[in-house]
Amino acid sequence: MKKIIGIVVLLASTAVAADLSGKWSGTFRAAGADHDVPQLFILKQAGSRLSGSGGPDESEQYPIENPRVDDDKVAFEITTGEWKFSYHLKVSGPHLTGDLELTSADSRRTAKVALNKVN
Amino acid sequence: MAILAGTGSIIEFEPELDRAFHARLSYIQPQAASLSLTEIGNAVSRTFGGEPVVAYFLSPKPDLSWQVALPSGIAYVNQYTGEVLGERRRGETFLGFVRDLHMRLGGGEFGSGVLKWSAVAMLFSLVSGLYLWWPNKQIRVRLMPGNRRRWSDLHNAIGIVSLLPLGLLAISGVILGFQGQLAPVVYRLTESRPAVVSRFSASVHQTGGVTITPDQAVARARRLVPNAVPYRVQMPKYGGVYQVALSDANGGVAGDRNVVSLDSYGGVVSVMKSSTLARGDRVFMVNEAIHTGNIWGVPTRIGAFLATIAALMQLSSGLAMWMYRERILASSAVSLEAIR
Repeated sequence: MKKIIGIVVLLASTAVAADLSGKWSGTFRAAGADHDVPQLFILKQAGSRLSGSGGPDESEQYPIENPRVDDDKVAFEITTGEWKFSYHLKVSGPHLTGDLELTSADSRRTAKVALNKVN
Repeated sequence: MAILAGTGSIIEFEPELDRAFHARLSYIQPQAASLSLTEIGNAVSRTFGGEPVVAYFLSPKPDLSWQVALPSGIAYVNQYTGEVLGERRRGETFLGFVRDLHMRLGGGEFGSGVLKWSAVAMLFSLVSGLYLWWPNKQIRVRLMPGNRRRWSDLHNAIGIVSLLPLGLLAISGVILGFQGQLAPVVYRLTESRPAVVSRFSASVHQTGGVTITPDQAVARARRLVPNAVPYRVQMPKYGGVYQVALSDANGGVAGDRNVVSLDSYGGVVSVMKSSTLARGDRVFMVNEAIHTGNIWGVPTRIGAFLATIAALMQLSSGLAMWMYRERILASSAVSLEAIR
């Protein structure tokens, strides 16, 4: 009986886990900044494995690094040269929202990110 | 205002201080010729377990090392020998914290709001100071013992001597602080639009196509922007195209705003030249160069540094005048009695 309940719970959690595959579009605004920065992610999920790229638009994309998917939480990084962008997001239907930490060789900034699934 | 002036005085020489704090990574013995970017990239990648190169940063002086951005950090390399001098992990340093204090009070929107209004307050205090100074035009500082007015003498003298540089710092600071709100006005007045780099496409895989090396990308970019020197090369895996940024010594404050984008096969994606920048963009660049002191190089940077020190002295002497205001007023009353 316990095994059956366990399998049901496992299947249910798999069923509700959002599929991150697709395009996600939105913005982030760094703390203290006066403008939004556009964001576009092209992600591919296979089980708990996540790959893809992200950047300001489709023509400027950076590979995602160190992806981690844990239930409705997703984290990954992109490196654009001086800056590393570390995303800690939460999936809620077609929305991905959360925090971004930007670090360079001498600075650290934070930002709020809001992305919506495009397709 | 004290934070603005204090942090401003430190970040005026931020590049030099940063190199002094990391002297072992920064300074090298100049030699006849540099290795190619490919050789440097391979040397760095080997040292860091095969990590891919994100970007190269070429130094402006022969005795300064080049830097190679990796996902794990920034590697410093001797461009003449390929020796990897070390790596700096990304994260906040003392100088980064000081710059963050200067620009955002170390915080977010609230901090940047406080600071930009502090710049307005600084401008107001300069104007009101000039108004108060004008009737007596006091320049001489009477430092003899027992002189109760030495603080106000000092405040008057430093204030009038440093009025112009402090005024330039305050005005340019206000423009920087309110740049978002001022931009539409500036572009309308200059009848220009913000420069937009149109990127037509990223690299699209070509079966059988021959990809170019970063050195070939630099050579092609130099042909497109003659007389300019490359200082940054972004690799196509990171961003989709090669982006070569070049600095033109004759381009004034906008001299480093030349960017050539090439796809992996050497096709030109876009070219942005400093000479084609909009007038409105130039206005903001000149303003920033005035604020940082970079407008005419080292002499104006020293001038800007001295102005921040003068601002700190004005704040100190102003505070002293306020603390000893009763004694100073009594001294004035005695003087008035003597006149009568």
